[in-house]
Amino acid sequence: MPEKESGEMSRRYLLKALGGGAALLGLSKLPSAMAQVSGQAIQPMPGFTGPDANPYWGAVGPFVIYPQKLPLIQLTDRPVQLESPRHYFLTPFTPNAAFYVRWHLEDIPNAVSLSEWRLFVEGHVEKTLALTMSDLIKRFKSISIVAVNQCSGNSRSRFQPRVPGAQWGNGAMGNALFTGVRLKDLLDAAGVKAGSLQVQFEGLDRGRGQKDSAVHRYKKSLNLDDPVINESIVAYEMNGEPIPMLNGFPVRLVVPGKFSTYWTKSLTWIRVLNEPDANFWMTKTYCVPDTPRGNTTPKDVRDSLVKLVPVGTMPVRSFIIIPDGSGKIPLEMPVIVRGIAFSGSGRVVSVEFSADDGAAWSKARLGEDYGRYSFRTWEVTWIPKHTGKYVLAVRATDEKGNTQPDEGVWNPKGYLWNRIERQEVMVDVSQ
Amino acid sequence: MKKIIYVLIGLLVIDLNKPLLAKTGLPGLVRSGQYSKGTLLSITQPDPVQQSIDSVYSVGTYPLYTPELAKGEGLDIVQGYCNLCHSVTYITMQPPLPADTWEAEVLKMIDTYGALIPEDETRQVIVYLQAHYTPETRRQ
Repeated sequence: MPEKESGEMSRRYLLKALGGGAALLGLSKLPSAMAQVSGQAIQPMPGFTGPDANPYWGAVGPFVIYPQKLPLIQLTDRPVQLESPRHYFLTPFTPNAAFYVRWHLEDIPNAVSLSEWRLFVEGHVEKTLALTMSDLIKRFKSISIVAVNQCSGNSRSRFQPRVPGAQWGNGAMGNALFTGVRLKDLLDAAGVKAGSLQVQFEGLDRGRGQKDSAVHRYKKSLNLDDPVINESIVAYEMNGEPIPMLNGFPVRLVVPGKFSTYWTKSLTWIRVLNEPDANFWMTKTYCVPDTPRGNTTPKDVRDSLVKLVPVGTMPVRSFIIIPDGSGKIPLEMPVIVRGIAFSGSGRVVSVEFSADDGAAWSKARLGEDYGRYSFRTWEVTWIPKHTGKYVLAVRATDEKGNTQPDEGVWNPKGYLWNRIERQEVMVDVSQ
Repeated sequence: MKKIIYVLIGLLVIDLNKPLLAKTGLPGLVRSGQYSKGTLLSITQPDPVQQSIDSVYSVGTYPLYTPELAKGEGLDIVQGYCNLCHSVTYITMQPPLPADTWEAEVLKMIDTYGALIPEDETRQVIVYLQAHYTPETRRQ
């Protein structure tokens, strides 16, 4: 009966206070200013960060409301880019209403008629297909996979020097149960002709620039011999619901382990190519240096020493979600530090936690395993033994032995950030 | 004797530094009942879109929340041309960028994204961005 106990407790304290404390009223002065959060409600965060790195966990920007969404952090409003706030990552599955949003082109779907929409499988195939949503639901075997969708530029605001682009904090990611049909089943139904090299994907979004400009349409391709072709699905459901319009209704491509740039939204054309896709979105952007971690320097870029290749698999990452530093922790209180970890190249097998800025590490408990492409939750019970400032840190390792380094990364487009994450917390006396 | 006085002063100082108990006398309570004026921002709960059985899946319009740009020469030209393909939130969202980065960004819009901006106006857009959105010049 916790309620009753706490009731008795407060009565006891009240009596004690009335007896002993009342005499002090009017005598004591207020203590010096305390670390209170009340100021946060009246003083908004700055509207931008830089030229230093963004010091906040998430992006800075106003909370805004969009259709089918909870308040999310706005980066831009036309086209729409919205970041998921930190605390939605306490659970392994990111709610659809909180899932981040990122479109490239201004002209994005508000309404789609399913009596007219078709998914086309065309190009270098034996038989062109034009499938309705009903065809996808009924004619093909349904399959589900839990997978992390993360923007290539997630955490771009950490870069030093800063680079232009969407200034994401850490919330340009999400994890969901996607249900749909295998991409392979659709390709088999159409019959991929011999000599085919790639499959190109295109959605209903369009740019406002000149029609013949390189970026009027957003097109992405995967190599047909990439093993991910067999794992990719054309999803019509996300966490058991139709896909929200802003996340790619009616169907979106799911490419497990790869960055979101390949997860075409409002997917409408699947096009088999017999030559490499040289369009802008494959060769001019979403490209990273062909170096370890995609790392380079502004000087090497200026001197044209950098060979760029399309961005691909997501490196291993982990995050501390709570504590978030918004309040102090009483000395010796056992608190639970919680977060998530994931890797595009294999199951997360170990998450390590440090309470001393990375000097000593200990293993965290891992949460339920929803598959190799899912968020894996982790937690640690931590008992602070002294007062003052602590720097908490977390690092994950995947089954391939990839682990997070403690160095940042730099490349001109701001991709592939996966440095060890840290959180400062204050511990104060408990008596 | 002196020692006792020092001890008494010490105790008094300790006492003075104790948190003030609220008038209710609640133990440990330092401050309560404090409010200050907040800013009423734009987060209001949206009215759901009316749905009908007509095969159309609609979510209504997407709201724009575009902040004001810095006042200054060239603002009208920036508003006019940049807004054709994207909102100017794309400017305010960026960190302060060096002058040559802004120039490269504007040229990218034209050469790559197919923005139709005459040469004179292109120069004015670049000058405006450099005047208000570099590490040296950015104020808002």
